[in-house]
Amino acid sequence: MTTPAGIVANGVRRSFGRVHAVRNVTLEARPGRVTGLVGPNGSGKTTLLLMLSSLLAPDAGEISVGGVDPMADPQGARAILGWMPDALGAWGSLTARETLVVTSRLYGMPQTTASARAVTLLAQVGLTDLADAPAKVLSRGQKQRLGLARALVHDPHVLLLDEPASGLDPQARVDLRTLLRRFAAEGRTVLVSSHVLSELEEVIDDAVFLVAGETVDAGRVAAAAQSARSWRIRVADALPGEAAASVSVALRRDPASVVVDRQDVLVAFATEAEAVAALRALVTAGVAVVEFAPATGSLEHTFLDLGAGPRPSGPPPGPQPGSAPERPETQS
Amino acid sequence: MSAQRIGTLIRLELTQRVRSVAWYVLLGIFFTVLLAVTLLAFASFGFRPDSGGGVFSVVVFFVLLLAVLVSPTLSGNAINGDRDAATLAPVQVTLATTAEILLAKFLAAWITGLAFVAVSVPFLLWATLAGGLTPAAMAVSLIILIVEIGVIAAIGVGLSGIIGRPLFSVAATYLVVAALVVGTPIAFGLVGATIRTEVTNSYRPIVDVEGDGTTVCGEWQTTTYETPRFDTVWWVLAANPFLILADATPTAFDQNGYPKDLFGQFKLGIRSAQIPPDGDQISDECATNQGRTYPTPRETIASTTPSWFVGLALQLVLSAGLLWWAWARTRTPARRLPPGTRIA
Repeated sequence: MTTPAGIVANGVRRSFGRVHAVRNVTLEARPGRVTGLVGPNGSGKTTLLLMLSSLLAPDAGEISVGGVDPMADPQGARAILGWMPDALGAWGSLTARETLVVTSRLYGMPQTTASARAVTLLAQVGLTDLADAPAKVLSRGQKQRLGLARALVHDPHVLLLDEPASGLDPQARVDLRTLLRRFAAEGRTVLVSSHVLSELEEVIDDAVFLVAGETVDAGRVAAAAQSARSWRIRVADALPGEAAASVSVALRRDPASVVVDRQDVLVAFATEAEAVAALRALVTAGVAVVEFAPATGSLEHTFLDLGAGPRPSGPPPGPQPGSAPERPETQS
Repeated sequence: MSAQRIGTLIRLELTQRVRSVAWYVLLGIFFTVLLAVTLLAFASFGFRPDSGGGVFSVVVFFVLLLAVLVSPTLSGNAINGDRDAATLAPVQVTLATTAEILLAKFLAAWITGLAFVAVSVPFLLWATLAGGLTPAAMAVSLIILIVEIGVIAAIGVGLSGIIGRPLFSVAATYLVVAALVVGTPIAFGLVGATIRTEVTNSYRPIVDVEGDGTTVCGEWQTTTYETPRFDTVWWVLAANPFLILADATPTAFDQNGYPKDLFGQFKLGIRSAQIPPDGDQISDECATNQGRTYPTPRETIASTTPSWFVGLALQLVLSAGLLWWAWARTRTPARRLPPGTRIA
């Protein structure tokens, strides 16, 4: 299966009264790839997904979903897009199976096809055992899986998922990851927003960063990704204080720049080359290093760095290596 | 418009309704109350062989009363309640259009209201078997009852799409329905009483009777007083659901020209209000022909104008207008949202 186009948004803007939820969004999510939508709370992710899913009209800008403009042809867009909202809306007294059959019928499927489709999807999201339980007894994670199945009933070419991983247990997250990768492999377009950045990092091909209603341009993202980054060092059989002391001596660093985080030591390095040199120095100095790794995932690092950086205005700012403030004990 | 999608949405609404226990409790209470009302109605009509028409009218009025009291809570949060529960957007993102969603919600609310009519069927049959009911009265009153329940359903669904918060839209539905049911008689009474005209009453008494039987007439005495002009405001009552029901139903009269059922008595009331007061009232005891003839109720009804179709047309315009407004407010892709609401 091939799709002619993925998702294209150009200069999209939307405000609610005086609240500018989305100020200026330009993004492209390509078919065959999973694109992550990353941004802090209130950065406009849900509003953007509502516009992409044809429910909300933008104040300005152009949107194309699978080659269809959802403003000009909402029915056409809805036929090819699947949307999973962040709010868990389930018809409480209907069973999971009935929920999927009703949704399929609303997409125009005959009764028998709808029933068969419900069975397939329930198995796919692991709800077969709960197929005939009313939705109100489902847990948050189970409702989330039902919401995902509901977004898939009409076999959409474009999938818009708003926080799909929230409330899911580890197994369900692995299943979700597999499902999204399979979707992309089938040539579909997947746009997924999430706060669980480590999860997102393992599944996405591309990332779009949204800060205060604006997409962050590629140059700034690259700069943030390359800024000084914290590394976690664990020294075998040493008290945290001793480890910090031996690391600061071996690296000839100011002891104040070596931070103790539980039993580990955190040190910031501007580049990967610097980190490699430091590891070599530590080993040479006889420090018993058992763990030497980035303290944060690259997505999380970029995300946090963008949040701390100055608001973009007009022309993209040039690379700013090392100028971003260090944040050694980010996730302690 | 797709019949399959509308049918699916109606079934969705009704399935959720029939799976709630509270719904059956409500219908059970209604059945019990209706049983009491029917027995009392038979008692008040004296268990006469032709009292069926009277009992039938009481039961129909009572079903309408219950629809007026309960329907706003059943339909007044149809759209915004779903939005609050986050179940509206997942439907809007399917191929179901806004018009289909609104139409399905309206039809489902109407069918729900008709459940009350269904519960009353045994009592209506009982009244019919008692005799004295004309087929025309039965058919017309039931049709009007069903239409009125639809009007209330449409008002509720319409307001639930216009107003953001379910609590306020249910309250607004009650207010609109109350304006029709209670507000029209209040407006009728108050406005009618403020419009007054002067009536002259001329009276000539007999002061003496002479031996040969000739009467001695006294002087004419003239008094003036003001009387309210309800004939100028009677049309206000045309939009009242109960009076529409009464006015539309063909009346059966007894041999003295009096209506036999409650519909006819209500009808006589509103029709009498159309007759302007007599500006010059003369009562002359000396006049040879003393007895003034008053028209019978049958003649009064025959000589005045029916207004139910005007009122019903007004209600249908109101319902359609509210549904259209709700459609404009619920349309997607949404440009404006009701204040304080999220689309999902």
